[in-house]
Amino acid sequence: MVIKMEEFEPKIVGFLCNWCSYAGADLAGTSRIQYPPNIRVIKVMCSGSVDSVYIMRALLEGADGVFIGGCHPGDCHYLDGNYKARRKVVLMNSILETLGLEKERIWIRWVSASEGQKFADIMKEMTEEIKKLGPNPIAKHWNI
Amino acid sequence: MVQIRLQNIGTFSVGDIKMTDKVMKVKNGDTVGSVNDLLKELLKSKKVQALLVMQEVPSKAMSFPVLISDPDKLNSNAFVPALPVSTATIISQITKVESASKPIGVVMRSCQIRALVELVKLNQANIENIVIIGVDCLGTFPVNTYSDFPEKATPTKFILDSLKKKGDVVKYLRSACHTCKDPIPSNADIVIGLYGMNPQKELLIQINSEKGKKLLEGMQLEVSKDTKNREKAINEIREEKTKNRMEFIKDKSNIKGIDALAKFFDKCVNCHNCMKVCPICYCRECLFESSVFNLEANKYIGKAEKKGLFKMPNDSLLFHTTRMNHMVVSCVGCGLCEQACPSDIPLMEIIIPIGENVQKEFEYTPGSDMEEKVPMVIYKEDEYQEVGEK
Repeated sequence: MVIKMEEFEPKIVGFLCNWCSYAGADLAGTSRIQYPPNIRVIKVMCSGSVDSVYIMRALLEGADGVFIGGCHPGDCHYLDGNYKARRKVVLMNSILETLGLEKERIWIRWVSASEGQKFADIMKEMTEEIKKLGPNPIAKHWNI
Repeated sequence: MVQIRLQNIGTFSVGDIKMTDKVMKVKNGDTVGSVNDLLKELLKSKKVQALLVMQEVPSKAMSFPVLISDPDKLNSNAFVPALPVSTATIISQITKVESASKPIGVVMRSCQIRALVELVKLNQANIENIVIIGVDCLGTFPVNTYSDFPEKATPTKFILDSLKKKGDVVKYLRSACHTCKDPIPSNADIVIGLYGMNPQKELLIQINSEKGKKLLEGMQLEVSKDTKNREKAINEIREEKTKNRMEFIKDKSNIKGIDALAKFFDKCVNCHNCMKVCPICYCRECLFESSVFNLEANKYIGKAEKKGLFKMPNDSLLFHTTRMNHMVVSCVGCGLCEQACPSDIPLMEIIIPIGENVQKEFEYTPGSDMEEKVPMVIYKEDEYQEVGEK
């Protein structure tokens, strides 16, 4: 089956923190800012609570991208969860790189509760980038 | 060019005590027996209440760590070329609920001391009353073929052959031992050294801490006159192992991409043995042993309909990649995961390159420094800014 690029709509799993990014996404919605509807939002208490297992599971089950949204550095509700989340992504990137998997499918960004526009912009940018990467090649494997 | 990283060696001091190298005379050319006598003496004099040391089981099929309090029953081989289980995990098991009120001596090889250091840092072991007796490691044979090796019948001969690289001994070592990060113990209270010594005549006894000094008080030891040989031999073996590791990594760099990865783990039966034997995998209940990922029947059918089919039991690649994410920063390269695999998946081919890569990224050497925090609990505010915002 050939998937034409213009037909490909990426599925993005988003982990948004309760205190900043989720509220930012909420603001984008209530402010009626348009952004691509490719993200499936999962609310988490803190970006630092997103274990690598959930990111890996999303990718292995066929998500085309994973987005992690946290508070800006220094603003974490739990003081340092976002810094730790960033280290987890660095660790994961390093592993994915060695395994030759695409680390560009995992994004971590800082969105505050007042940044509805920024959230919409990131969603546009990420959807475009994942479209360029194409569908997740892991998804077609049944023996993993 | 092979890049070689070496740790500091030579004379150093802890607190106000100057570290001195001593030597122990070997009786009748019996290296293993003489070390056994030394350990027996420690038990008899009550310097240690109990000892954790490798001893052959009655069938002689394998050597296991034994916790021993009766000196008359001690028949140990501190240098036995086998590592069936992680000694570090056992010390964690012994000390996790409450640390001992009297000293326990533990005889360990370097990879296990590194693992123990990591477990202490992860709050999984307490070494308050543990005296670490490190032994130079000559490598170990795979556990399921150990009984086939005639070398094990003559323990001292094995030591001599290994040091002189005579015969086939080196060829049969586990790949983890072939690519060992450092066969010389660090962070031990005392070290019993083979490299650079004539093990039929004398062994090096290096005292590294106050605990170690206390342990050997009153023992008949001589001050080592010449440490040049030792230093040279240590450098040589470290260089050799590092070179092996670099070549191994270069050799195995072809396991890349989802196709190669799926093929690599194709024989995995989801037994989770690799997790169970890993000294670093310390969770009391692993997520993958829980019912977190158990779905309702209809969801399984939905999953099948999405791809047409999928392999059961599922999630084996998810298990392995997650395990890597959780333990590889602290991976000490003991290779127990590979040894425990019933499907003979050569796990080290993946774990060693990834470990090297990740540990370089965080500039972290697991097991080297008791005070240094593990990378996943610390951070710097201005690091990795390209990851968060591009």
